[in-house]
Amino acid sequence: MKRLRLLAVLSFVLLLIAACGTAGDEPEESEGNGDAAAESDEPTGLLAAVQDAGVLRVSTDPAYPPQSSITKSGEYEGFDIDVATEIAKRLGVEIQWETPSWDVITAGNWAGRWDVSVGSMTVTPERAEVLEFTPAYYFTPAAVAVHEDNTDITDTESGLDGKTIGVCGGCTYESYLEQTLEIPGYEIDVVIDDASVKAYDTDSSAIAALELGDGTRLDAVMSALPTLEGAIDKGKPIKIVGEPVFYEPLAVAIDKNAPEDPVPLAEEIGRIIEEMHADGTLSELSMKWYDTDLTKET
Amino acid sequence: MASVPITVRRARDALEARTARVPYRVKLALVWVVIFVVLAVLFLSYGFDTDFMLEWAPFILGGTGITLLVSVCSIVLATVLALIGALARLSKNPVINGVASLYVSAIRGTPLILQITFVFLAFPQFARFAPTYMEGAFLLPAIPAGILALGVNYGAYMTEIFRAGVQSVGHGQIEAAHALAMSPTQTTRRIILPQAVRLVIPPTGNEFIAMLKDSALVSFIGVSELFFRASKVGQQNFRAMETLIVAAAMYWLVTSVFSYFQAKLERKMARGYVRETSHGH
Amino acid sequence: MATDVITIQQLDKHFGDLHVLKEVSLMVQSGEVVVLFGRSGSGKSTLLRCINFLEEPSSGVIQVGDLRVEVGPALRARREKIRQIRERCGMVFQEFNLFPHLTVLENVIEAPCTVKGEAREKASKRAMVLLERVGLAEKAKEYPIRLSGGQKQRVAIARALAMEPDIMLFDEPTSALDPELIGEVLAAMRDLARDGMTMIVVTHEMGFAREVANRMVFMHEGQLVEEGPPSQIIGSPADERTRRFLEAVL
Repeated sequence: MKRLRLLAVLSFVLLLIAACGTAGDEPEESEGNGDAAAESDEPTGLLAAVQDAGVLRVSTDPAYPPQSSITKSGEYEGFDIDVATEIAKRLGVEIQWETPSWDVITAGNWAGRWDVSVGSMTVTPERAEVLEFTPAYYFTPAAVAVHEDNTDITDTESGLDGKTIGVCGGCTYESYLEQTLEIPGYEIDVVIDDASVKAYDTDSSAIAALELGDGTRLDAVMSALPTLEGAIDKGKPIKIVGEPVFYEPLAVAIDKNAPEDPVPLAEEIGRIIEEMHADGTLSELSMKWYDTDLTKET
Repeated sequence: MASVPITVRRARDALEARTARVPYRVKLALVWVVIFVVLAVLFLSYGFDTDFMLEWAPFILGGTGITLLVSVCSIVLATVLALIGALARLSKNPVINGVASLYVSAIRGTPLILQITFVFLAFPQFARFAPTYMEGAFLLPAIPAGILALGVNYGAYMTEIFRAGVQSVGHGQIEAAHALAMSPTQTTRRIILPQAVRLVIPPTGNEFIAMLKDSALVSFIGVSELFFRASKVGQQNFRAMETLIVAAAMYWLVTSVFSYFQAKLERKMARGYVRETSHGH
Repeated sequence: MATDVITIQQLDKHFGDLHVLKEVSLMVQSGEVVVLFGRSGSGKSTLLRCINFLEEPSSGVIQVGDLRVEVGPALRARREKIRQIRERCGMVFQEFNLFPHLTVLENVIEAPCTVKGEAREKASKRAMVLLERVGLAEKAKEYPIRLSGGQKQRVAIARALAMEPDIMLFDEPTSALDPELIGEVLAAMRDLARDGMTMIVVTHEMGFAREVANRMVFMHEGQLVEEGPPSQIIGSPADERTRRFLEAVL
């Protein structure tokens, strides 16, 4: 009995503390979201939080060179890494990396664990529901590769119809092949019909499956052109067929459900990206990592 | 036996006769060596890049410390939870027992990977109900979040192990203690728990060894442990086979070392229960 | 010197629908050796276990010395009385119930040290005397698993004696033993009886009963049917049921 009473008292006290805590927070919150504050030049929402903390927390999945990869000393490098670092620099804050799995990043609801994703993320309607996107900072050509022994597939227009094509599960290529891909503000022309789509956990798993032989597991893999070229450079027995099938706009994303209002930060980073487009920083970084300028829509 | 062709059987008998003086253990080791050699040849012919492995091994194996850290912290947390859980499950108080049984049931009824994700992503959402100074406790960094999830998960399984341990102390033991005028508390402390602890130490060791391997799941939330490093390095270089084998070798080594100590501990703990003349296993 | 150390009045015990003890009353005097016997299921073990409240009686009164406990809720005062009764009643079980994680010596000193707060050294000294008495002093450092059944039961007797009880309760102490080991346990019990220990023994050992018991009590279906000195009970049982049981065991 005594113990029960103690428990009851304890839980009551906890509730009280919680109630006081939220009550105390409320005025601050309404101030932060208020229109009066938004109209002034003072940063608000997540932007203010980032600047107060002096740190921009960026998520990256370091499995995708040349966008993002891990070095032998455990540091991260790549195009996305450089872009993110430059954004942080222009925001006047330090940068800190988080490396959750890619599915976790694209699903949104980051629970305030990190502030932005600079991860070559394609803008899709589903993602746009949970994530706030900035204007694209570059475009990835989506291409198709086949095993080097293959001779009958020569173009993407008709050669791939009805073939078994490997992709990374949940990626844009999967929706593209399933003819469900929509990119807000862009038109997608689907040229491959009736493909049998096989989803893998990552692009490299799909490439590894293609590597087993022409038609053994897969007839082709659809992925980002740089990823496929990287695999060829690493000696994978595959070759690229035809022209890129579409160009994906890739943007910085911010959790719409962030504890603080994400819009001011999205706008500020959007402004920085336009600036980096204009002053040639992005083109320069693209040349550094891709040997070609992918920052302009082709 | 009848299906073995006569020539094979004869060859085997001849081999057995000729190697009769070679100790069994040596034969066993030889079998392993042969398998390793065959595997090595297979891998090398597949185009196994050993230089690449050596080049990246230091970085990948650098994750071993984090794997051990996560596993050790998690098993400590799990042991504490299991002890509380087991005593609660044996309690006659419906509130205490209800909370404990719900904990065990819910945790055992959901996948570990889901729990890890939950602690990482859903748990922080509760921060908004907490006072400001407590928000940090909800927004745990990846490593503590992983430890919390693993510890809570293993705690639920170990609750049942601990409970079974306490329950398997015979009723006669409790009666004997009571007949000697020992109070329920004295009986629990002096008679039941010391016997239960001996019973649960071997399974707890097994849980720890399982934990070493399950800790790979926290790579999902970005903890840079052994498996995380192996899989990321493998993916980015299209050499997953090589990097995963480096990680596998380390997992195997670590679990083998712990299994060895676990077996020793088990033998030591069996003192008082096993006659020295009989062979443990 | 004929004081009653144990008084059992109107004791009833139900296990669910089973009525195991039916208004049993029994008095045992100081220094008396009482043998309870009867078929299995007759309630003799339950009666013994009610004396130190290993079983909670359904109704009735138990008095051990000046400690009188009636059936009722487990209040603190009542629990304390039961604990004191247990201090006064040593018990020996059919299955020995030695503590396997403790050595023989530790088994014997466990209760004196834990319950009475006796110093380990002092308790050990006394324990060695008791182990000497049951002929097992040289096994003091062994764990129970290394002992034979007979040795285990003698350690159990020493363990019960270490609490310096007024009464010893024996619940079929030789039933789990190989025949060749029964003798050593009975010898230890005989030795105790000779020293004037008050004993209640549930047993089928009629030889032991005839030689050592002051009184024999025959139980049948939860009731005391017949009691008297061994010569009378074994020699010329008055009740038909007693006679038939004795014919079967003798």
